[in-house]
Amino acid sequence: MAISIGIVGAGTMGAGIAHIAALNKFTVSLYDINDEVIRRSVEKINFEMKRSVDKNKISDDDMKQALTRIKKRTNINDLDTCDIIFEAVLEDIKVKKDLFKKLDQIAHHTAILATNTSTLSVTSIAAATKKPERVVGMHFFNPVHEIQLVEIVKGERTSDETMKSAAAIAEQLGKKAVQTKDTPGYIVNRVSHPFYNEALKILGENATTLEEIDRIVKKSGGFKMGPFELMDLTGNDVSLSVAESIYEQMYHDPRFQPSRIQKQMVEAGMFGKKNKLGFYNYEEK
Amino acid sequence: MKKQIKNKKTKVTAAVREKPKAQPVKSKPAEVKQLICLLGDEQLVKEYSAALQEKGIAVQELQNLASLKNSVKKITAAFELTLTANEQKKKNLLALSEALPANVPIISCAVTETILSQSHLLKHPERFIGIAAFPTLFANPLVELAPSLHTSKEIADNVKALFDSLKKETAMVQDSVGMVMPRILCQIINEALFTSQNDVASPNDIDEAMKHGANYPHGPIAWGEMIGFANVVAVLDALYNNHHEERYRVAPLLRQMAIAGVFWRTKE
Ligand SMILES: NC(=O)c1ccc[n+]([C@@H]2O[C@H](COP(=O)([O-])OP(=O)(O)OC[C@H]3O[C@@H](n4cnc5c(N)ncnc54)[C@H](O)[C@@H]3O)[C@@H](O)[C@H]2O)c1
Repeated sequence: MAISIGIVGAGTMGAGIAHIAALNKFTVSLYDINDEVIRRSVEKINFEMKRSVDKNKISDDDMKQALTRIKKRTNINDLDTCDIIFEAVLEDIKVKKDLFKKLDQIAHHTAILATNTSTLSVTSIAAATKKPERVVGMHFFNPVHEIQLVEIVKGERTSDETMKSAAAIAEQLGKKAVQTKDTPGYIVNRVSHPFYNEALKILGENATTLEEIDRIVKKSGGFKMGPFELMDLTGNDVSLSVAESIYEQMYHDPRFQPSRIQKQMVEAGMFGKKNKLGFYNYEEK
Repeated sequence: MKKQIKNKKTKVTAAVREKPKAQPVKSKPAEVKQLICLLGDEQLVKEYSAALQEKGIAVQELQNLASLKNSVKKITAAFELTLTANEQKKKNLLALSEALPANVPIISCAVTETILSQSHLLKHPERFIGIAAFPTLFANPLVELAPSLHTSKEIADNVKALFDSLKKETAMVQDSVGMVMPRILCQIINEALFTSQNDVASPNDIDEAMKHGANYPHGPIAWGEMIGFANVVAVLDALYNNHHEERYRVAPLLRQMAIAGVFWRTKE
């Protein structure tokens, strides 16, 4: 039996998950509170898939088939037959808890409920439902169709069976699954914290320039991108809010203290690539 | 003796942005027959020796300080590659500074101690320059150098020219413990070990996550093993002693692995 997937929240991440799910032959029910977002989201998937066709990564037929598998849903109750529901709404604990309470009522009793939260407690989201053992974190990365990894996050009461099913589904979506406990930053955001934060500290000590740090990290360390280029790409606002959230949740463990420099970038409105000014200036033609 | 073409006003003490191969610095050094002497940690000496010889440069791996006498006149540059600031490193630097003529650069690993404090009391401190010599990094196309407050511009240019001739880029950074890449890298490895120690994920999943989720060239725990966990701890301890900041506290598990010299694996 083909597994059917439900997605709540058709923004950046929801669209990304719908994209890979449809390509991997799952039927997808895509829902958002905003109907206009669903329409735009499908358009975006269409556009991304066309690019993959142009690059000969998928065939024209793959694309056509995949697009027929995505059903636009304007009523959340239509997700009642899904085997797994991915939640990708905005990062707000109250919104997510309310949503999970509702999903708990409408979803099939064996369905898995997976949150894509980056910084909130999966355990706490799960506690809003009557079946916390069926709630799991499935942390995808942006852009979903390009980044291989999914972190499967075990909430305090998530069952081993749910963990196994979630990992199996991630693999069927063509992803590499790793298991992590529900602790701030999970693996990737936590371990990469010093990649950014130590670079910011070195910059703060004026040991060299940020351009030099990026050059050293790439050419002496062998990393694909430097920390400042990456912060500009992610957005300093997003990157700082993740850092602040980890710091708060770690009860101010000094290892996770966010950087004043980054805070000031955000205060100055220098978010990075998306508004053409961050650590680097992207304005010049 | 080599004379370098002077480029106008490069401050040696500050970190200077350098263009990879902009200046026509060297033409003379190519004619001088290079003999580079290496001593220090076996792993680093091996990496440097192999890379230098591959570029056709004669090297002399010094087994002991007595053998320095025989080749003293022919040595054009010396590398002291002991990572940890210990008694042996002090002896090595003293012997090099006593034996080698004042114009021969001494390039010393300055990852756990600044090049200034290594060289301040030695003869001709102006011919010492720090290098971020750290296992696994010398295979990559860039080396980090740190001039001390005493380092002369001539020596800095001379050493830069040496790396130019090896087709390696250089970056001049401030003379501070950890320099840039070893400092960031050791902090990443430390956090990976805290993550493992806290049982957040298995060592294998931590490595896989960083490779596939963040595009790291190696998983941080496997990388720590390649570097040698004791070397990672040496850098972190030095950072801790210099900054007195909690953020450089070594993960207890990492310290144990450094002592035991083995990779700790969880029950799979
Ligand atoms: N963008 C990233 O890089 C990234 C990476 C990993 C995880 N995440 C996480 O994924 C989640 C979504 O992020 P995003 O970047 O896709 O956000 P986004 O703003 O692009 O999309 C969120 C969507 O949720 C919809 N929405 C809001 N409340 C809703 C509700 N109650 N019911 C249904 N739909 C609702 C909004 O209309 C919007 O379309 C967040 O939890 C975020 O932390 C984001």
